[in-house]
Amino acid sequence: MTAPLLQARGLVQEYATARSFFGKTSTVRAVDGIDLTVRQGEILGIVGESGSGKSTLGRMLLGLETPAGGEVLYQGAPMPAPRTDAWRKLRAQMQLIFQDPLAALDRRMTIAAQIAEPLEIHGIAKGAEAAERLAALMARVGLRRDQADRYPHELSGGQRQRVVIARALATNPGFLVCDEPVSALDVSIQAQVVNLLRDLQEQEGLTMVFISHDLKVVRNICDRVAVMYLGRVVEEAPSDLLFADPRHPYTRALVSSIPKPGQGLHGRIILQGEPPNPAARPAGCAFHPRCAFADRGCAARVPELQHDGRRQIACLKPDAAAATAA
Amino acid sequence: MTDATLTAPRPGIITRMRLKMPFLVVLSSGWIIAMVLVAIFADLLRPYEITQMNLSARLVPMGTPGHLLGTDELGRDMLSRLIQSIRVSLVIAFGATILSALFGTTLGFLAAQFRGWVEHVVMALADFQAALPFMIMSLAVLAFFGSSMVLLVCLMGFYGWERYARIARGLAISASAQGYAAAVVQLGAKPSRVYLRHILPNVASTLIVSMTLTFPEIILMESGLSFLGLGVQPPQTSLGNLVGFGREYLTRAPWIMLAPSVVIVLTTLSISLLGDWLRDRLDPTIR
Amino acid sequence: MLNFLLSRLARAFLTIMLVMTFAFVVLRLSGDPAMVMLGPDAPKDAVDAFRARWGLNDPIWQQYLAYLTQILTFDFGVSMRDQSPAIDLVLERIPATLALTIPALILKVGIGIPAGVYAALHRESIADRGVIMMSIFGFTIPSFVLGLVLVLIFAVTLDWLPSGGQDTWRHAILPIATMSVGGIGILARFSRSAMIEVLGQPYIRTAMAKGLPWRDVVWKHALRNAAVPIVTLVGFMVGALIAGAVVVESIFSWPGVGRLIVVSVSNRDLAVVQCLLLVIASSMVIANLFVDLAYGLLDPRLRHKSAAH
Repeated sequence: MTAPLLQARGLVQEYATARSFFGKTSTVRAVDGIDLTVRQGEILGIVGESGSGKSTLGRMLLGLETPAGGEVLYQGAPMPAPRTDAWRKLRAQMQLIFQDPLAALDRRMTIAAQIAEPLEIHGIAKGAEAAERLAALMARVGLRRDQADRYPHELSGGQRQRVVIARALATNPGFLVCDEPVSALDVSIQAQVVNLLRDLQEQEGLTMVFISHDLKVVRNICDRVAVMYLGRVVEEAPSDLLFADPRHPYTRALVSSIPKPGQGLHGRIILQGEPPNPAARPAGCAFHPRCAFADRGCAARVPELQHDGRRQIACLKPDAAAATAA
Repeated sequence: MTDATLTAPRPGIITRMRLKMPFLVVLSSGWIIAMVLVAIFADLLRPYEITQMNLSARLVPMGTPGHLLGTDELGRDMLSRLIQSIRVSLVIAFGATILSALFGTTLGFLAAQFRGWVEHVVMALADFQAALPFMIMSLAVLAFFGSSMVLLVCLMGFYGWERYARIARGLAISASAQGYAAAVVQLGAKPSRVYLRHILPNVASTLIVSMTLTFPEIILMESGLSFLGLGVQPPQTSLGNLVGFGREYLTRAPWIMLAPSVVIVLTTLSISLLGDWLRDRLDPTIR
Repeated sequence: MLNFLLSRLARAFLTIMLVMTFAFVVLRLSGDPAMVMLGPDAPKDAVDAFRARWGLNDPIWQQYLAYLTQILTFDFGVSMRDQSPAIDLVLERIPATLALTIPALILKVGIGIPAGVYAALHRESIADRGVIMMSIFGFTIPSFVLGLVLVLIFAVTLDWLPSGGQDTWRHAILPIATMSVGGIGILARFSRSAMIEVLGQPYIRTAMAKGLPWRDVVWKHALRNAAVPIVTLVGFMVGALIAGAVVVESIFSWPGVGRLIVVSVSNRDLAVVQCLLLVIASSMVIANLFVDLAYGLLDPRLRHKSAAH
């Protein structure tokens, strides 16, 4: 097993909401104690519904947000505070790929200027050398040379995402977080962009965290998957194991919702109850109001993530769940 | 940087340009260019010195040979005085517009960058500015300090700063929240780069439109103050001074007041029309 | 709602504090207040008495506090010219000004808003273009030009109306007309764009799609929603009732607040100027406060939004 590139320990993030005139604040816990290890050269998938805190987790892994608790270690060193010089320097090594490429691009700059911008910011290359690297980057992500002088709105959604990817790769980063990189794209384009990311990962040995609510995509690209529910990881396992034999009731519901060719959605588990709302977290196991196997104990105790062979699972009654699965 | 928008092809601009009052806009632009040329070449165009008196030709009406726009009660040539006034009024309005745009945009960006108490202070000042009639504040300042050219430009330079501050802050915050600015920050760019290379070019068109809307208001404000005798002081003269001065001779020599009035109205009208047109073209989102 | 009210009150208070501070700072920056307030020819003992009374030898923050207490007890000092209290001079001028500005406001609202709404409902029609053109003319012609032109036509040439003074109601016609024209233009244009904006919203399309009569769509949905921005502008005009007549009063020699300002500024009668500044600022702030409260009635969403800020 390769060395960890990035480690998260006990990450917590809270947001203040609805501040009244008298300064009363209520806080919402978006991320509630996450331990995570990202190994060199792997693609770690993070899945969960909206509101599960997966994007917040991604931003903390990159150091874009300072966690309210816990720490992130990159290559063994703690993450510098945002917007300091050390932090800015570190940006060359870790990059984010956005959900909405049109919003992430400056509509008044040519795509060439934008792809080359990181080289300028970090003083990596100038003049002819920069032009050469720009051409190489564009070729690598599959953009045509004549598109260099175009503006973002003149490109298609898939091409824009290629521009964002090229910009992210400009500094040869070691670590990439892709936050729902394809969910804003047409289904027909999604596969192309996912394949591009996978090819790049294989060619360069990139380490990636791939955040998505789309399990098909995650299964397609990830080596390992962590499932999040209301700010906590409920199950984490190698991709093949997780999809073949999901254990946590929530994971099982998610996996059962993936359509299989020729089978339709037979055996799909429909979740009951309210969708997760971080502002009203249930006591005990956050999933218990929607869990078919929950009993009184589940409402009282918060399950810890525990090793079970190649996987980790946070469930108080994994055996009950497993029994029905068999 | 703004020419990016102008060159970026957008469907329908040409057709829409043809549809809506192109003639008026062309006319307005022509008038503005003429006024700017008059202001620049005032010294060459002026037939007489503005203070040159000719007591044998006092209150000569319009159309008199040698005094196209007539003379005032000291026999000073009105055309020469008008040309000089155009220069003074335009210089004040131009300087003040730039000052207020710079000041307001800077404060707006600072508010967006630092948030917290900086933002609160900037916004409280903007509210304060918007809550008070500018004319009254200017009058108070002029009362305390007395009038001078530099003070007048600086004072007018505060006119409308809160609009730029609000626009700049709002656009910068929305850009930093999840948009292109956040993306560039995330690339490791320093704030100076984020604001000057990315946010400023993106908000420039809105700010320029705002400037074309503020400019005529500043001309009106300055000429209003000068009309009251509290703005530009003699022997220097501005369009407002001429009108205020002409008021004394309204019955005997109405031309003294008419020529500068026409210039004020046509200039503010032209810039407003051009500004409206620009706003519709460049910024369909704000109204 | 209580939160909303309190935050608005706090804001209004803050603005008035800022105005007072502004007056204080400007006064201190402009030189020795004793000399400025009493004039350069004041006798030595008067200057000393003034210095002692205003505590000019104390540290600046003590002076500031003393200044605030003075103002909070409505002591604005004495006019340099006729030695009467500044506040009395200002208050006695207010009725004359209101006699002009209130009719003008009624005209602005009564003509401007219907014209703008009509133009918005009949876009691209001749009436619409007429309203646009009139409104542009309305606010590009400065009031001093318009006033003089009206005098030239109606007083000098036709001799129908007096050109200045305050003796009969006929004296008020030209000033009121001068004052209204610009405001009518501004309100018409503003109402027009507010209506057009609202008419383009999805809920209007929904209301139309569900078969509501056009009249009901306009009255119940469009106007109600367009009212929010229009009320702001009208509120601003209400706030400017006392302040908005500086130029017009000067043209027509109308003895109101506006002329008092001009005269006091020319004479550097600072006690009066300072008092005017505070009275005008307070009237505007109070008007804004009422506008904010009217907002709460017109648009219940805003209550919560503003409270959250």
